[in-house]
Amino acid sequence: MEGSFASLNVTSERYEVFTLLNHTRYGAGFRRIWQDPVLAISLLLVVLFIFVAIILPILAMVGASLSEEGRALFAHYLGERAYQDIITNTLVMGLTVATAGTAIGFLFAYVQVKMKAPFKRFMHLIALVPIISPPFAVATAIILLFGRNGMISKGIFGVRYDIYGLTGLTLALALSLFTIAYLNFKGMLQALDPSLEEAATNLGASKWHIFRTVTVPMLLPGFAASFLLLFVEAIADLGNPLVLGGNYEVLATRVYISIIGLHDNVAAAVFSMILLVPSLTVFIIQRYWVGRTSVVSVTGKPTGTPQQITHPVVRWVLISLVLGICALIVGIYVVIFVGSVTRVFGVNNAFTLEHFDFVINGYGSEAMVDTTTFAIVATPLAGVLGMLIAFLIVRKAFWGRNAVDFGTMLGIAVPGTILGIGYLIVFNNPITLTLPFVGDNVPAITLIPKLTGGRAILGGALAIIVVYVVRSVPAALRSGVALLSQIDPAIEEASISLGADNAVTFRKITLPLIRPAFLAGLIYAFARSMTTISAIVFLTTPQTRIMTQQILNETEQGRYGNAFAYCVILIGIVLVAIAILYATVGSTTGAERSLEGGA
Amino acid sequence: MAATQSNAADSLRLESISKAFPARGGEGEVRAVDTVNLNILPGEFLTLLGPSGCGKTTTLRLIAGFETPSSGRILLDGKDITNQPPNKRDMAMVFQSYALFPHMTVFDNIAYGLHLRRLSRSEIRTKVVETLELMGLKGLGDRRPNELSGGQQQRVALARSLVMEPRVLLFDEPLSNLDAKLRVQMRSEIHRLQRRLRITSIYVTHDQIEAMALSDRIVVMNKGKIEQMGTPGEIYHTPATRFVADFIGRANFVDATVIEESGSNLVVEVLGRRFTVPAKFSYSPGMSVVAMLRSESLTLRQDESLLQVVIDQAMFLGSEVEYVVNVGTKQIVVVEQDPRGISVFDEGQQVGLDFAQEAIHLLPA
Repeated sequence: MEGSFASLNVTSERYEVFTLLNHTRYGAGFRRIWQDPVLAISLLLVVLFIFVAIILPILAMVGASLSEEGRALFAHYLGERAYQDIITNTLVMGLTVATAGTAIGFLFAYVQVKMKAPFKRFMHLIALVPIISPPFAVATAIILLFGRNGMISKGIFGVRYDIYGLTGLTLALALSLFTIAYLNFKGMLQALDPSLEEAATNLGASKWHIFRTVTVPMLLPGFAASFLLLFVEAIADLGNPLVLGGNYEVLATRVYISIIGLHDNVAAAVFSMILLVPSLTVFIIQRYWVGRTSVVSVTGKPTGTPQQITHPVVRWVLISLVLGICALIVGIYVVIFVGSVTRVFGVNNAFTLEHFDFVINGYGSEAMVDTTTFAIVATPLAGVLGMLIAFLIVRKAFWGRNAVDFGTMLGIAVPGTILGIGYLIVFNNPITLTLPFVGDNVPAITLIPKLTGGRAILGGALAIIVVYVVRSVPAALRSGVALLSQIDPAIEEASISLGADNAVTFRKITLPLIRPAFLAGLIYAFARSMTTISAIVFLTTPQTRIMTQQILNETEQGRYGNAFAYCVILIGIVLVAIAILYATVGSTTGAERSLEGGA
Repeated sequence: MAATQSNAADSLRLESISKAFPARGGEGEVRAVDTVNLNILPGEFLTLLGPSGCGKTTTLRLIAGFETPSSGRILLDGKDITNQPPNKRDMAMVFQSYALFPHMTVFDNIAYGLHLRRLSRSEIRTKVVETLELMGLKGLGDRRPNELSGGQQQRVALARSLVMEPRVLLFDEPLSNLDAKLRVQMRSEIHRLQRRLRITSIYVTHDQIEAMALSDRIVVMNKGKIEQMGTPGEIYHTPATRFVADFIGRANFVDATVIEESGSNLVVEVLGRRFTVPAKFSYSPGMSVVAMLRSESLTLRQDESLLQVVIDQAMFLGSEVEYVVNVGTKQIVVVEQDPRGISVFDEGQQVGLDFAQEAIHLLPA
């Protein structure tokens, strides 16, 4: 799954608060930036990156959808019943997933923060597992558990249950996305000033009364934020509807079919446009409305320890629910692992390593090497870029700061398919500049070579790497902004006052101090690059094979064993990479704190 | 006043410096610093004093180069540095929050600026060790900032700036994060160091006692403008405005009337009695003015011939007793030092109020 852990975040307001407090710093910022060449060049590169890699493809997609051909299709799609159903399906799925995912996330966070419970650490880790989980893994495992021949549905209950459609999608997506809500609520519950609850208790309120009148109202912005983010993630998701959708068609799958099956870029752009409207609306609501109405105090350390819920019935009901969901998630991963070493899961359960042989030594090895290589290239780029943009936004109050922030966040706010189509449209031909008045014998200057499709530069690898970076930078940016806002700007000023310029200060002071955010950004970047599908599904070429794409192929062919072997190896690679990143970049405690804080 | 007109001996000069910020939440702008002119002499310890929002910190940040003035010039040793970036200015700043680099040891914190000057390792070592000793931080070089007490952190912050031997040392409320006792101790330490090293220093504070204790000269600021500039004695005894008088020390303001002029002196009526005081501004007979009376210049005793007042409140503060007394139309505050030697009056008691003619300082009404 491709979670935008990026855009949620309780802590993002800290930086709003900070900018308010530091309003005095506003004036000279812009002029200052141009006085320092390093700073000026950095800002120019950032703006160029945002424009070329994010804004331009989105605009191109929008442009294609609004062409004459596109406008005709709009009328056609919006007028016809079958297509109206697809739109309704998409929105309904968004609502069910957002509701279920927010509920599960809140449940996990509430038990984690407010209760003494067994296996708390285990619950926490289970809640984080979806971050490193490849797409299709959960969906495919759910089919094997609950499908027509499912181990649980048929094997235990003896029913031929049809999991395909809305139920299956809600289950798979809620289990893949609830991490976003969990991290959000966990951060908020921990930040909630315990003295508020103490005051309510002191005034005679019962625990239930406090929950209704203090805790929930304080967390309302968190509910809104989680709900909206999950909604966007759900309607943008491509992998799960492809595998689990059955006859339940959604916009994302329509976009996919338009390109892969029908090679119709304009139709794809039109569907994308219809998908973009709710996504962008929700993103903007989340950013400018919910983000500003938070009542959770983020000013200082909690003054006491949060009150624990001790009511035995309430406690054990909630704990059982969480443990039940944990068991389900564990079950899913057991299926994935067992499935990867079984000949045909559920039919011929003989042990075999042929699937791993296929991935490691056979056809799949190229995808494994390519994907990992691209992710390795993209990860540091995304990490450094994220920290740099965070630094510029938080510390250098320049005109257009908000636009830079917004533009960067668009990289994850728009559904991946939309970005993919945009790249197809913009970069399928080299972008050249023909100098005027020089005659025909002077060749045009190639500004950007052909990045996608056949004969693309580096076999399309460059486009994929850029997309990886685009999809990863927002998370790094948000964790950078959150951490940087908590660091006293006087520390950097002290460095400058002692004679260091901006570049030295960034290298010797800022970067070491935001290392935990940097580490978090790197981990997310690597995990997301390895697991992303929707943004790159249109960009792979015969020369560049991507694991997630291969998993999709294998799943569609019904070769679940190969798909699971890919998944296991992919998870393994991500875990190894996280371990390496911790060892090389990370101070464990700081990074963990920042990760757990929902960076 | 020491230096009102510019001269070659100036170390640092601010020429009609203004700084405007866009007003919060939209239209217009706020003048945080408004046409400030200032000359700081070499080796001088100058304090910018005022309530929060008076522009003192912005002024300091303008001098440091963290802000660029909207108009005006800043000159260091006659050289225009208005547009010089902060890292190129030969100044070092001590921050309110100390702003120590948390990922470096005390030694590395102090050595940071010296490294940037590309001094040799041995030179850096010598200087840092010297400074550690000077600041009473011997043996703490390997510690991290979070392993130090607040007072020690403050010393490191000071050491980090001192070791640079800057032309100008800037202090932004450096003692306000310390507890009361430590604050007094660090105050005297800064005093001792500055008098010994004689580095030109500009110090921002809202604490009037700190300002008086440390400064050669105090600049009192209000709403972005300079209210008054002078030695601590001048500021305290002859404040130019009611704002200054009120901000520094404990002052009572009572209405007074000018009776007549006699030479360079005036006869005024204060609390029903007549006094002859020097004329500080132009008066005309019959004019209403305000007389400032410092609380500690007033004294209470049982004497029927004096103005009779009623004690509304008496508070024993250890080294002194603070009385709020009713003089008929208004309340004023009287402080009696060392209550051991005098009789302490009760609330509701009627006593006589006395003060010397020198205690009166006239201000325009």
